[in-house]
Amino acid sequence: MSTPRRVVLAASLVALVACSGEGPGPNALRIPLINDPILNPVLAPDIGSVLINKVLFSALVRPDEHLRPTPDLAESWTTSDDGLAWTFALRPGVRWHDGEPFTARDVKFTFDQALDVKSGSRLRSDFAAVDGVDIVDSLTVRFRLKAPFAPFLSLLGYNAGILPEHRLRGRKLTDATDFNRSAAIGTGPFRIVSASSGSAIVLERYPGYHGAVPALDQVIFRIVPDVNAQVAQLLAGELDLVPIEPANLGSVERAPGVVVARNPIVQHVYVGFNQLRPAFKPALVRQALDLAIDRQAIIDGVVKGAADLPRGTIPMVLSGYFDGSLPAPAFAPDSARALLARAGWRPDAEGRLHDAKGAPFALTILVDKGNPTREQAALAVQQDLRRIGIDVSIETLEFATLVRDRVLPGDYDAVLIWWTTPPDPDQYSFYATGQDNNHVRYSNARVDSLLGAGRATLDTVARRGIYAAFQREEMTDPPVLVLFYPRELLAVSARIAGLPALGLRDALRHTERLSVKR
Amino acid sequence: MTGFLLRRAGHALTVILLVCTATFMLVHLAPGGPAVLADPKLSVEERTAIEERLGLDRPVLAQYGLWLARVARGDLGRSFLYEVPNLRAIGERLPNTALLAGTSLFLSVLLAVPLGLWSAAHRGGWVDRVVSGAAFVAMAVPTFWLAIGAIFTFAIALPLFPAGGATAAGGSGGVLGRLYHLAMPAVVLAAVTTAELLRYMRSSAQTARQQPFIRVARAKGVRDAAIQWRHVLRTALIPVVTVLGIQIPRLVGGAAITETVFAWPGLGRLGIQAALGRDYPLVMAITLFISAAVVIVNLAIDLAYLWIDPRIRMDQR
Repeated sequence: MSTPRRVVLAASLVALVACSGEGPGPNALRIPLINDPILNPVLAPDIGSVLINKVLFSALVRPDEHLRPTPDLAESWTTSDDGLAWTFALRPGVRWHDGEPFTARDVKFTFDQALDVKSGSRLRSDFAAVDGVDIVDSLTVRFRLKAPFAPFLSLLGYNAGILPEHRLRGRKLTDATDFNRSAAIGTGPFRIVSASSGSAIVLERYPGYHGAVPALDQVIFRIVPDVNAQVAQLLAGELDLVPIEPANLGSVERAPGVVVARNPIVQHVYVGFNQLRPAFKPALVRQALDLAIDRQAIIDGVVKGAADLPRGTIPMVLSGYFDGSLPAPAFAPDSARALLARAGWRPDAEGRLHDAKGAPFALTILVDKGNPTREQAALAVQQDLRRIGIDVSIETLEFATLVRDRVLPGDYDAVLIWWTTPPDPDQYSFYATGQDNNHVRYSNARVDSLLGAGRATLDTVARRGIYAAFQREEMTDPPVLVLFYPRELLAVSARIAGLPALGLRDALRHTERLSVKR
Repeated sequence: MTGFLLRRAGHALTVILLVCTATFMLVHLAPGGPAVLADPKLSVEERTAIEERLGLDRPVLAQYGLWLARVARGDLGRSFLYEVPNLRAIGERLPNTALLAGTSLFLSVLLAVPLGLWSAAHRGGWVDRVVSGAAFVAMAVPTFWLAIGAIFTFAIALPLFPAGGATAAGGSGGVLGRLYHLAMPAVVLAAVTTAELLRYMRSSAQTARQQPFIRVARAKGVRDAAIQWRHVLRTALIPVVTVLGIQIPRLVGGAAITETVFAWPGLGRLGIQAALGRDYPLVMAITLFISAAVVIVNLAIDLAYLWIDPRIRMDQR
């Protein structure tokens, strides 16, 4: 259509709109989701569902600004001496969004479903240590554990929102379509007003909320699949809070009325080397690779400063456990070459590394397609490793293909990927020998015993010592090559106040504190 | 006539079955598999349970057999990604797609037919030159680019229109609110269709003008406007109507991009996300639905020829 016609059309429609009273209520927070969520914390398979469920559903505990579990639906709790029984006193007077009282039956129902792998539960492995839940009285529940499990409290506050038994009992969770799509009720500070497929889910203040009175009238989750469109909507004043990539920083930082928060999150981005491959089995080789990477250059150049230098796999944001006294990773290509020489990799005349039989040191790094930050980080790693004589190629694949066809079956040399973990230092399932999530097939007997002890030790001081020892062990036998601890870039409309300095996952547990500046 | 319709219905069913079989094989051959299984954090136990629940542990051919049997019973299955019956997922999005595609098709016909006729009658005139130039630009520019450009121009730089969505974030906003949100995506989606229709209309009207019966009409002293509207238009519309039929699936497919950029809750976007997430049942349901729609529209268009052009008779086909 040619320009004059468009202008005429625009002008006439503007006239229409002027009388239609268009525009969101001023006292609202508008957040994008890329897809229709599943409004059930036990079933939620994706980040979008997790985010909205944190607003709708409360959990027994929630993380504070230091990610420590604090009371929410549970007022207090005690642990038996053997660490096998956790008893929670529930907050009295809490009501579901439909007015029904919240009781111990809801807690038992939720965890019975979460532990039943046939229910469609995505929380089963988080709570694999739980043997069962007993109702002591209407406001007291007791969890029976198979073994002492220190991360238990953090996991209760992570994704385990409590479901209403009176709405869901007697049928399969996956069949409760209306609940899961539009009629969910929780005990959170906001309740559902309307949900329209592919469009938006509108929540309003729940006057009966058990915590502080929510300051906002509404929280609106708009379905906007494209990240560039999300940024455009933010700039047009139609969204208030958009997680962005470093590549979007330029367009957002210059925009008036938008501020960018860089909040640390519980995540480590790494290059994992498949230790089923003989080349990556020796700790010496992985130590050398660790020394060959200029992480600061990646943090400055690729991530635009929105990341912290790593020291092992436990992120800095877990301040109670992260050992900051450890040295920052060195960038020392010469030392890397020397270590590799000790491991039997000799340079030829052109500086390319070969083993004793003359085979070159070659590897392919897998990276997921479509994320510019990770694709560029892979390029930087490729250049750094080439500099010490390793022949590196890069293969980009769709994320699902990368995971299911290559990483899970162990059909890869190296992969640039990340773990987002609960706010707890427990990494047993990632780095202990033979665990399902140990995709790099790392195996170190001392790490096995440290990580085993770390999840079984409830005493905080003793636990801190264990993870400090784990981080030291990682310096000499790194399970993966940690590139950085990313910060979540949140482009936030300047009119929004009260956003905690946490990743969105945890910040949204405190939605009642958010407000609009007047 | 009845024989013709039965024959066409038979063809239609065969086409739909072929399309569905091919789609089923393609989505299952595509690497990666369902996104619901892509979370690297799933334990082996959880992964196995999901595969069993969704029937993914069976061989592909067995899955296809089951799918066909269900469709024969009128059951389109449930979506992996959204845990809802596919028919409901499609039903929720269909009105939005129909509104967007319908509006943009309407805009296209409204502009392309008279402008094409005029251009053919006044070849080389300024209207012809301007319109042809604009048409080439519209065809050359990718839709997503046009969409993003439109958002930055008319939603951010000049805040005249909303940057996305089908309604205001807080609620419905009524019919005017819908129109306000519809304007940009409909115009962007109409751009290419209009351009192509216009080119067809122009050349087909030109051919029609050279037909002997036009000269006869002119010799009989029929007025120019009457020649234009009664004789040229009807003759010229035949190829244009054919192209229009081809546009229907393209509007749904092309709408997927427009729908994504404008966050318009339509069927095309649902289909793209289903394909990306390897939501097999939803991909199949949408494929079945769209192929049926295309077959039916084309049948309708074949019947429309009869009405448009008196020279076409059933017995000739």
